[in-house]
Amino acid sequence: MSLSKLLERIAQLVPVLLGVSVIAFTMMALTPGDPVQIMIGDQAITAEQEAQLRHDMGLDRPMVERFFIFLGNTTHFDFGESFYHKRPVADVIAERLPATIELSLVALVVALATAIPLGVLAAIKKNSIFDRIATVGSLLGVSLPGFWFGILLLMLFAVHLHLLPVSGRIGFDSEVPSVTGFLLIDTLVAGNMKAFGDAVAHLILPAITLGLPMTAILMRVTRTSMLEVLRQDYVTFADAKGLSRRRVLFRHALKNALIPTVSVAAIETGSLLGGNMIVETVYGWPGLGRLVVESIFLRNYPLVQAAVLFYAVTYVLLNFVADLLYTVLNPRVKL
Amino acid sequence: MKTLHKMLTAAAVAACFGTPAAWATDLTVGFTLDANTLDPANHRKRETETIIRNMYDGILTRDANMKVVPQIAESMVQVSPTVYDFKIRKGIKFHDGSDLTADDVKFTIDRITEDGGMGNGQTSPRQSLMGPVAGTEVIDGDTVRITLKEPWPILPAMLPFEEVVSKAWIEKVGNEGAATSENGTGPFKLAEWRKGDAIIMDRFDEYYGGSTEIPPVGKACVDRVIFKIIPESASRVAALLAGDVDIINELPPFSVKQVENNPDTVVMKVNGTRSFFIAMNMQGKYFADHRVREAAAHAIDKQLIIDKILGGNAAPIEGILSPDAFAASTDLHKYSYDPELSKKLLAEAGYPDGIDITMDVEGAFKDTAEATASLLSKAGFHTKVVVGEGAQLSEKWRTKGGEKTGDMYFTSWGNGSLDPFDIFTPTHKTNDRGNSAGYSNPEVDKLLDEAAVEVDTVKRAGMYHQAEVIVNKDLPYIYLWVPADLYGVSKRLKGWKPSADSRINLHDACIE
Repeated sequence: MSLSKLLERIAQLVPVLLGVSVIAFTMMALTPGDPVQIMIGDQAITAEQEAQLRHDMGLDRPMVERFFIFLGNTTHFDFGESFYHKRPVADVIAERLPATIELSLVALVVALATAIPLGVLAAIKKNSIFDRIATVGSLLGVSLPGFWFGILLLMLFAVHLHLLPVSGRIGFDSEVPSVTGFLLIDTLVAGNMKAFGDAVAHLILPAITLGLPMTAILMRVTRTSMLEVLRQDYVTFADAKGLSRRRVLFRHALKNALIPTVSVAAIETGSLLGGNMIVETVYGWPGLGRLVVESIFLRNYPLVQAAVLFYAVTYVLLNFVADLLYTVLNPRVKL
Repeated sequence: MKTLHKMLTAAAVAACFGTPAAWATDLTVGFTLDANTLDPANHRKRETETIIRNMYDGILTRDANMKVVPQIAESMVQVSPTVYDFKIRKGIKFHDGSDLTADDVKFTIDRITEDGGMGNGQTSPRQSLMGPVAGTEVIDGDTVRITLKEPWPILPAMLPFEEVVSKAWIEKVGNEGAATSENGTGPFKLAEWRKGDAIIMDRFDEYYGGSTEIPPVGKACVDRVIFKIIPESASRVAALLAGDVDIINELPPFSVKQVENNPDTVVMKVNGTRSFFIAMNMQGKYFADHRVREAAAHAIDKQLIIDKILGGNAAPIEGILSPDAFAASTDLHKYSYDPELSKKLLAEAGYPDGIDITMDVEGAFKDTAEATASLLSKAGFHTKVVVGEGAQLSEKWRTKGGEKTGDMYFTSWGNGSLDPFDIFTPTHKTNDRGNSAGYSNPEVDKLLDEAAVEVDTVKRAGMYHQAEVIVNKDLPYIYLWVPADLYGVSKRLKGWKPSADSRINLHDACIE
């Protein structure tokens, strides 16, 4: 990809982000529910005190003025102060982001490591018992609600079998200096293998719960794609040449069959980052998804607006990565 | 049994040079929400206060029976209807080792009550919780005087909600520092805040002992307490059953048996402070007619719902006040369950075939609202339950005198102070912020206004009683119940019992 193409793609981000900013702001501002009333809660308050609170939250200004203040501040990465945390929104999000990214990436690895072999096997053994079980399994994987499956795993592995911890990212006796915020990395950097093992143990159930729907989708994509590739002439030709079955499958067929899998995986990763709320709630995982949902209920405008912008940037970038990977895997495709 | 968790960690122990921290006793609370901030003056969230309260002590506090007692103050004297003196105890230390003085107490009150008191032109969001404070001064070196603009008898009931900060420390770290670190005088000091995950506190060994009126006085019993944030109730229950936590709050009624049947856990409950009621839109087509409201009141079998859905864990009410609240009346007229009378009253009002109505409710209370709606339907109120989001419904119904749509609103109002001022006034005074029924009665308004500033407690109780009787007759709401606060507790835990104000004070809690 040429530099000009790269710059062109980056330039395309500007109108997208502007559009997302407008949508994020207006949707929150127009949603029924007054942040001041929510903050006051069930208490008596005088009209003057209520007006003071509204003023301190910057909500006494007209909506248009508030929008331009928000837009102006956003250009230099100032997303304002969280109504509830009373700290810069960027700081609050930055504290929660590593947990979400770490969980998402581990879930992605779990999904890829499970889906690709299963998908390939299902394609090779088309219409076999294994294929049918895998197909039904993938249907279940997509259909099972995350909160139900999560609690099921939790009751089994944490409560009854005492194999894994119930919630959180790491035990309380593990003291790990925060370097990157990613516990798997920080524990290794600190050389604290006990804490590393503890962090892995805490990740297992949330990663499986989060990765299950993605595993199911990727498995089906891989299976379908592999079946299509196996019907191609060049595969028949490779077989006719007398190449070993293993070489035909893994050297010639799989590489091409993985193209759609990689594209879907890149886009699904965006969903993982945004769709963690349920898993984060079930497992008490201190990530961004839970924070955003709590903030929506509290009408914490600055935090929700910043988070929506972050999600938009992430989606755009991941789509870009998917496009790039596509060109790497299939050189005939040009951006 | 060797667990996978243990195996995973044990596999790496050989590579670990440090010895694991040895905690004699940890007490872990599975808690619904993380603190928004650690600054006692910069929030309005009850959960945040529960966490902060274990690190910061207040001028006054409450015992387990909700009696207000001195804590940092040695004594409280009401000099006049608008002047209160608090003598501050000696020998109290902040967690940084500095001594607490009367100046710190004055600074704390000023920071909350003054316009712009937080600095940078910002006013504390807690200002309104302190009523009409005119000013604070230090007299005689160790006495703090709070002067009010007008009499406000609930000041002592509201002071336990505020915690004392160090003037020097706040001036040093600023609001930003106070949001993420602490320097209180409470029984525990902050060890680590894993945001969104847990707040870990160590025992403060120089603790002065706490209120002399709440034994045992002295240092905290456990070495370390952890508020572990588990928002999902099923996961909190799982954590308790797995032995990961020792206390869980907001135990759902449907999990009570599960916790009771577990050999290592028990259920503890305390009368709550949140009154549930149904607002009837008095500006609407049907409920402007008293006969229709009365018919609705007779249509609901409260005890049946309490027994079958809430597991018996609620107290029925005939007025807005909790049975434990100041001035709660015990002799109010009871609208007994009588669906035939309901039908008769509806017919008298001109609706012999009944009426079609909607009932708005938040998702969390959908089950109870549907049971209520089913009883209403049997009595001629063909009720459709409409689930909405809390903030949206609040805006729809709490219109402060503005136009109101909808028929019924299944809702609630909390009353942590257990004083009528905080619940009766907002929900019943004309056009007040919680008046979701659109109720207006000048006589009630007058009584509520006068009671708010009456310092004679007997007279004040009489005024609220009079107002309750009038409202009970006018019937703007169907008053339902006050649910008990339910906690799941490990049998290892001793010396702790739940408090009606939802605070989880761990000073006296021990682990066996």
